[in-house]
Amino acid sequence: MLLEARQVTKSFGAFTAVADVDLGVAAGEMIGLIGPNGAGKSTFFNCLTGDYAPSAGTIRFDDHDVTNAPPERHARLGIGRTYQVPATFEDMTVLENVMVGAFLRHPHRGEARDAALAVIELTEMTEQRHLRARTLGTPGRKRLEIARAMATQPRLLLLDEALAGLTPAEIQRAMDLVRKIHATGVTLVIVEHIMEVILTLAERIVVFNQGKVIAQGKPDDVVRNEQVIEAYLGRRKAHRR
Amino acid sequence: MRWVWIALGAVFLAYPWVLAGPFYERMGALVLLAAISGSAWNLLGGYAGQASVGHAIFYGAGAYLPLLVFTQWGLPPIAGLPAGIAVSVLIALVIGIPTFRLLGHYFTMATVAVAELVRLVVSNWDLLGAAVGLSGPAVSRGWWDLSFRSSIPYYYIFLAVLAVVLLVTWQMERSRMGFYLRAIKAGDRAARSLGVPVRRYKLYALMLSAAFTSVAGSLYALMVGFVDPDSGLGILISIEMLIIAALGGAGTLFGPLLGAVILIPLQNATNSWFGGSGSGATYVIYGGIIMLIARYQPGGLMNAWHALQERRHRRAAAVEPRHAA
Repeated sequence: MLLEARQVTKSFGAFTAVADVDLGVAAGEMIGLIGPNGAGKSTFFNCLTGDYAPSAGTIRFDDHDVTNAPPERHARLGIGRTYQVPATFEDMTVLENVMVGAFLRHPHRGEARDAALAVIELTEMTEQRHLRARTLGTPGRKRLEIARAMATQPRLLLLDEALAGLTPAEIQRAMDLVRKIHATGVTLVIVEHIMEVILTLAERIVVFNQGKVIAQGKPDDVVRNEQVIEAYLGRRKAHRR
Repeated sequence: MRWVWIALGAVFLAYPWVLAGPFYERMGALVLLAAISGSAWNLLGGYAGQASVGHAIFYGAGAYLPLLVFTQWGLPPIAGLPAGIAVSVLIALVIGIPTFRLLGHYFTMATVAVAELVRLVVSNWDLLGAAVGLSGPAVSRGWWDLSFRSSIPYYYIFLAVLAVVLLVTWQMERSRMGFYLRAIKAGDRAARSLGVPVRRYKLYALMLSAAFTSVAGSLYALMVGFVDPDSGLGILISIEMLIIAALGGAGTLFGPLLGAVILIPLQNATNSWFGGSGSGATYVIYGGIIMLIARYQPGGLMNAWHALQERRHRRAAAVEPRHAA
């Protein structure tokens, strides 16, 4: 297992956002984490990236215990991430944003620049490379976040709602990019609440509801799961089927 | 970039010949000194976005130590310059290590508190002359005292130091550290997710900034030959650095120099208009400048210029077909 989370729990005061979640991710997989709003998938996601320290449980990545490690250590070990609301460096250009990521493995400016340009090419942002991040729209900024994370040369990339807020055409383009990245050998964990999209993209789906994993498996099996339908679409819809 | 350096170098080298006379020479030296301390502040407050309102501590350490080594051991004041740097870097670590653990404005608040505390302690510390302050050699004992009647030698010493500060800043700006500091300023959570050791880099910036600020303080003490708690550690000194950087453009290489070129003559003018009661006017002017910057151009003058150029480029680029992001 590349990533292994065991009995991860995260509480905020009396509220338990994530309870006893187990998740194993093998190298080369593409996994979707889905669930209705407030299901705890983003909280769990942030435990995986080191943004939150779990209240209980352990997380191991590539034989390193990263349960309480800070985000920068996650990056160094090879975990990249994007944000639900893009957190691009607004006053810096696309190239400069990506170079910040590239400097992690290439301390020298020239090498970092070359590495960043290669990633920009991969993510099809070459034409925008000299634009400031603030001038890009939401799709561009989401793409830039992926590019920036890819520049750290991750083995595991965690995407937090990389497709939310995009038009169908933009979603198609973004999905092509995700597939392209997966084809380079990067393992992917994608949080998404647009089910249709993730079902066609991921090989395995993990469904969250009320802080717990209620189902997991192949997309086809997951959509037929009564519990999933109920959690997602409400009881009435589940009964109607 | 190269022609900017050459043009600026030529202008500043020629200045004492163009505008001769003790008044202009002294003002030129003061502009350069303010540009040094403003540029030093800029390393942390501008590039890394960690606004300090306590840089007077480092300036004060730099100003006091040369005069202390003179009054205690009769050494040439310049000998106190490295000691000032060492003390400043030490204080920087003491402030930075605990406060950089906290997010937001804690660092800024801590710098104000520590700076005022240090001023009060020094005001009552006999070794440092308490409220009276310390003086340098009344009569120069030799060139090594660096005590000159004319402002011109100081002008050129300051110019050389400023060139070093700007060159270091320029190199830093282009290096990994410069990128990391700008990333930290833009959002330290995202920076950490890209592997930036945020706390460590903030600390590096603070130490470098403290060291250069200390040098500025030492140069001030060498020229004026006197320091007391107000002129070495007053809160106005910290605010002046902040305003000079913010006015010219925080986080830009030449912003603080531009800010100093505007602010110092302005300050001189108000002091002469209002005479002895002019110190109150300084506060009013600083307040006014802060309001103007905050309202109209938070990025300072250099950034206003960059934004203008960018708009022109974009207008030119808009003619070509654009691809969807």
